[in-house]
Amino acid sequence: MCDLFALSAAQHYTAATSLPLFAVRGRQNVHGWGIGFFRHRVPVVEKSGDQVFAFGRLHVSFQRLARVVNSPIILAHIRYKTSGEVDECHAHPFVLTFWGQSWIFAHNGKAPAIEPYVSSHTPVLEAASDSARTFEFLRDYFADAEPRRPHTQFDVILREALVHLLQRYPGKYNFLLTNGQVIWAFTNHRQFLMLKGSEKLEDVLLLTTIEDGLSSENWQKLAAREGRGGRLLLIAGGDLILSADLLP
Amino acid sequence: MCELFAMSAGQHYTAQDYLPLFADKARANMSGWGIGFFREGQVHIEKSCEGVYEGDMVHDSFQRLARVIGSRIIISHIRCPKAGHQQESLAQPLTDHFLDHHWLFSFKGESESGHGYDSPRPLMRERLLAARVFEFVRDGLEALQGASPEHGLYQGLAAACQQLISRYPGEYAFFLANETVLFAFLNHGEILTYHPPEARGESLVLTTVSGGLTRYPEHWCAYPHEDVRHGQILIISGADLLYLGRI
Repeated sequence: MCDLFALSAAQHYTAATSLPLFAVRGRQNVHGWGIGFFRHRVPVVEKSGDQVFAFGRLHVSFQRLARVVNSPIILAHIRYKTSGEVDECHAHPFVLTFWGQSWIFAHNGKAPAIEPYVSSHTPVLEAASDSARTFEFLRDYFADAEPRRPHTQFDVILREALVHLLQRYPGKYNFLLTNGQVIWAFTNHRQFLMLKGSEKLEDVLLLTTIEDGLSSENWQKLAAREGRGGRLLLIAGGDLILSADLLP
Repeated sequence: MCELFAMSAGQHYTAQDYLPLFADKARANMSGWGIGFFREGQVHIEKSCEGVYEGDMVHDSFQRLARVIGSRIIISHIRCPKAGHQQESLAQPLTDHFLDHHWLFSFKGESESGHGYDSPRPLMRERLLAARVFEFVRDGLEALQGASPEHGLYQGLAAACQQLISRYPGEYAFFLANETVLFAFLNHGEILTYHPPEARGESLVLTTVSGGLTRYPEHWCAYPHEDVRHGQILIISGADLLYLGRI
């Protein structure tokens, strides 16, 4: 299954140490990779359908990007396809706009039930995969909730969207969603591992789905609890702000 | 009572349209003012023990600062005479560094017993309720984060605020912000939020001034709270109200 990575800091940062480690430790994911970040509030995504690690070497472009991308929030995804083709278009992250801003989304999981979903809004993502449809579903829910925006907190709409998603399209979901200021992370089937204040990697907040984390340090495990629908995390400025069950 | 103001945006913004309105609406509080903001991760605070209004005019420095200060988060405080002190150094916002961040803190409220908190790391020795509340919240956050790093800052803040209002009953409202996130807590009165239309959703203004700062109170979303035994916390980042939790 795919793997996810996120860096969150109060200031601009590069993930020059942790991103290559993420790719090496997740090298069984052989169907593409992608890195997303924001520059002046504009989403920037670089992705590829190539293997992130082949013939004993990291993909050269991935390595270079890891050294160069400099942002308070960086997301990365390495793909092992369970849905859709193997090409750049199906690699993550994806970008859509809602709630008055652009969002970068990366997902791992398996949710075949949502593959037939037809979005009621435009644009639609070119990729034919459960991840693309999941992101469109979330976008559509927020778009329909737009009239409530002035007086409704983001968390309320996101929770509603996730509850509807899980009711209508049951599956395994695990995603990162960012507008460049905060990261929302959700999982109902895998754990996230979080490390803050690393002495071996970057001294920021790091989040990944790679089992055991990216170093031999004390990675905190954040997983869904039985019967609570999933775990929702809010991260900003290098801090875990909120860690909560989806259902009360 | 004192009044609070905050502006949060996704990128650097000035509060030049709203800080003067805040000063105007809070002009009854003639006992000092302060504006705090962030620049490259550092806190800057400009404050004064003079009235925010001089005659019929907003204080000259306050007006100029309002035009010039640009930051993702700006916090302002206008002090009421009931605060009981006139020193510039005791004007708010207050600041401290903990949990790897510089923080701004701005407070209004009353508590008979709140002065009794004796922090192991006092911000100042003077009898200032805002300082005692800031110390209590900071100490609580640090203790809870140290014990349970897997918990979010919100969980730590909620626990600290719960302890605050149970150990030191009173009326509390405060803004606590680092360079990325703004927390607002209240167990009395109300906090109002407003998306300035000219900012096209890019900034959010908050205040404790009743009715908001513009001519149309109906354009403001009010988050009132009257039961002082409980409270609520708002989490804001950029122009978005992300979460509202009840204690």
